Amino acid sequence: MAEIESSSNLSFILNKPFDVKFEQRPKPTLQSPRDVLVAINYTGICGSDVHYWVEGRIGDFIVENPMVLGHESSGTVVSVGSEVKSLKPGDRVAVEPGKPCRYCTPCLSGHYNLCNDMRFAATPPYDGTLTGFWASPDDFCYKLPEHVSLQEGALVEPLAVAVHIVKQAEIQPGQSVVVMGAGPVGLLCCAVAKAFGASKVVSVDIQPSRLEFAASFAATHTFTPERVKAEENAARLLKETGIEGGADAVIDASGAEPSIQTSIHVVRRGGVYVQGGMGKPDITFPIMALCTKEVTCKGSFRYGSGDYKLAVEFISDGKVDVKRLITGTVKFEDAEEAFKDVKAGKGIKVLIAGPNEKSCRCIGGH
Amino acid sequence: NETFVLHAKGQFLYADRPVPKLPSPRHVLIRVMATGLCGSDVRMSSYWQHGQIGQFVVRQPLVLGHESAGEVVDIGSGVTTVQRGDRVALEPGVPCQTCDYCRGGRYNLCAFMQFAATPPYDGTLSTYYTLPEDFCFILPPHISIEEGALVEPLSIAVHSVKLAGVTTGQSILVFGAGPIGLLCCAVAKALGASTVLLVDIEQSRLTFAHRYAATGTYRMEDKSLEENAVSIMANFRLSEGADVVIDATGAESCISCGVHALRRGGTFVQTGLGASNIVFPVGQICSKEGTYKGSFRYGPGNYKMAIELLNSKKVSVKELITHTHEFFRAEEAFEGVSRRQGIKSIIYGPGVQNVFVASSDTPTGNSIAKI
Repeated sequence: MAEIESSSNLSFILNKPFDVKFEQRPKPTLQSPRDVLVAINYTGICGSDVHYWVEGRIGDFIVENPMVLGHESSGTVVSVGSEVKSLKPGDRVAVEPGKPCRYCTPCLSGHYNLCNDMRFAATPPYDGTLTGFWASPDDFCYKLPEHVSLQEGALVEPLAVAVHIVKQAEIQPGQSVVVMGAGPVGLLCCAVAKAFGASKVVSVDIQPSRLEFAASFAATHTFTPERVKAEENAARLLKETGIEGGADAVIDASGAEPSIQTSIHVVRRGGVYVQGGMGKPDITFPIMALCTKEVTCKGSFRYGSGDYKLAVEFISDGKVDVKRLITGTVKFEDAEEAFKDVKAGKGIKVLIAGPNEKSCRCIGGH
Repeated sequence: NETFVLHAKGQFLYADRPVPKLPSPRHVLIRVMATGLCGSDVRMSSYWQHGQIGQFVVRQPLVLGHESAGEVVDIGSGVTTVQRGDRVALEPGVPCQTCDYCRGGRYNLCAFMQFAATPPYDGTLSTYYTLPEDFCFILPPHISIEEGALVEPLSIAVHSVKLAGVTTGQSILVFGAGPIGLLCCAVAKALGASTVLLVDIEQSRLTFAHRYAATGTYRMEDKSLEENAVSIMANFRLSEGADVVIDATGAESCISCGVHALRRGGTFVQTGLGASNIVFPVGQICSKEGTYKGSFRYGPGNYKMAIELLNSKKVSVKELITHTHEFFRAEEAFEGVSRRQGIKSIIYGPGVQNVFVASSDTPTGNSIAKI
């Protein structure tokens, strides 16, 4: 088992696109008696991290000052504030990296993911978790059961994203679900949909290798769209999967315009469509179909109350085998290589070991 | 049974059809006395100009009209809720009542819906029309038959506002100051919304809206949609954005502006139908975690609520009736509506006398529509 050996707070920092550096930063201090200090063991990389590395911005969030990247982490508690009861030093945790204010209307009404003053790791101007140590409120660290590894712990974040999406989709037992995009989030949405009782889970992607994996991971059916009109792809999908009248729920985990258009034609009358993936901010959208079919379209943004907890449970009781998504683990000093690999579309999920991580095993790999 | 029939290529003719028989013991026969015209009847160059609306192609002559009120003249042997002489509003769509949608409480989505003036089913611009008794709603005594014809669009508004989940104290932003937009404002207000804003491009419509039901109005300016959204939020102190947005235009610019003016976690209801595809800010819906709902016609309880809103005088529809036409001059009504004349035009049933006093400012119209 990996241990935290030193007190390095070496951090992986983005200056501007493609310009990264390693630098020691002051070790964070506990801001409140309910805070804990976590030594980061592993951090996964997601499309948004790569986007900042390539573009230096996402929408209105612009990297103006050097910023530590990373937000999908697991770690080990090293110290706890005086009023912390739920955790103790040595506990291994999944880290929920967004700190809401707790007082604004969204926070008070159960939507802290929409907090007006959210401080989210690696969303400018807030530093991320590709660093040695991370200070966190105790309720934003989730203890991992003994049999769950720290590498799996780094997958809790994207799994929580999938949990949140599937909850938005209101999936119920026996329903049919179509997921557009077989990247990590799409794959995890398939698995969570299945765990929520969906009887048909269709994974859609243009890459055959991804679909192959999806079928072995969680999908009951797969579908490869062609370069035809959205209505045509939709009709063929429903025919091939035997989903009559349209799918109960459709999730877009791709952000791609053709997928979103197809989704509205795939979903049944009165069904739910969830926009999880982020792509072009404005797209051509089949609004009349949405309107006359009385479809409910919901955005999904990060995760909220209960999502991390359920994600840990799904890993713990084997309902979602996140290990299979880990295709590589690299040492902290090789972080930039990991970003390059993800950008090149290699593998599914690559983990970067924390700077204090002693031993580093690649437990995935295809 | 004189009917007003659309033929191929937009030609209208009058025809005397057989008086419909009651299809079941639960049906009633209604003498149609007033029928309103709606955008879908005319605006989308639908039945009238091109003989087609969306995927519904007019293949054989079709009777138009679906926003009607009339008098019950005959009832089936099993009818218990209405009697001869009752004045009723017509809910003109009969679902199958056996499919999953019907049994699950969303009969407006029934695949076998028989909806008036949607091919191949004839509409209500005729002397007589039949409906099951549960699709006939008795009008309150103080509501005229002309106002009864507005129960249909009022129910559309009820359906949309309910989908939006409007409750006391909320802010609602409505785009489009036509009948549906105006009625959405009125219903939202009646259900407790404290800030009811209406957006349009025409000042005269907005001036009326302010008198009718809106607490504030906004005229779209010649700048970007995001800038318009920012102005709306600033002018009406919606620092977070509107709780609810309803679009009653179907226009791309309004929908985009509306999404930008929606608060995080808010609900947008799409009521208006326009183009099949529009450029849509899906990224905003995603990052705001907005809910964007399509709204289609009306379902269980909507007509009942509409009647109650009129009964309790929480909503008034008199003010929206600006034009009335005799049955045998119905084509004028279509022409007028296609020229965006007035707000709501009513066509009387054949032989019904035109006595409604349509007034724009202080309506005193006391209708004694007679046969």
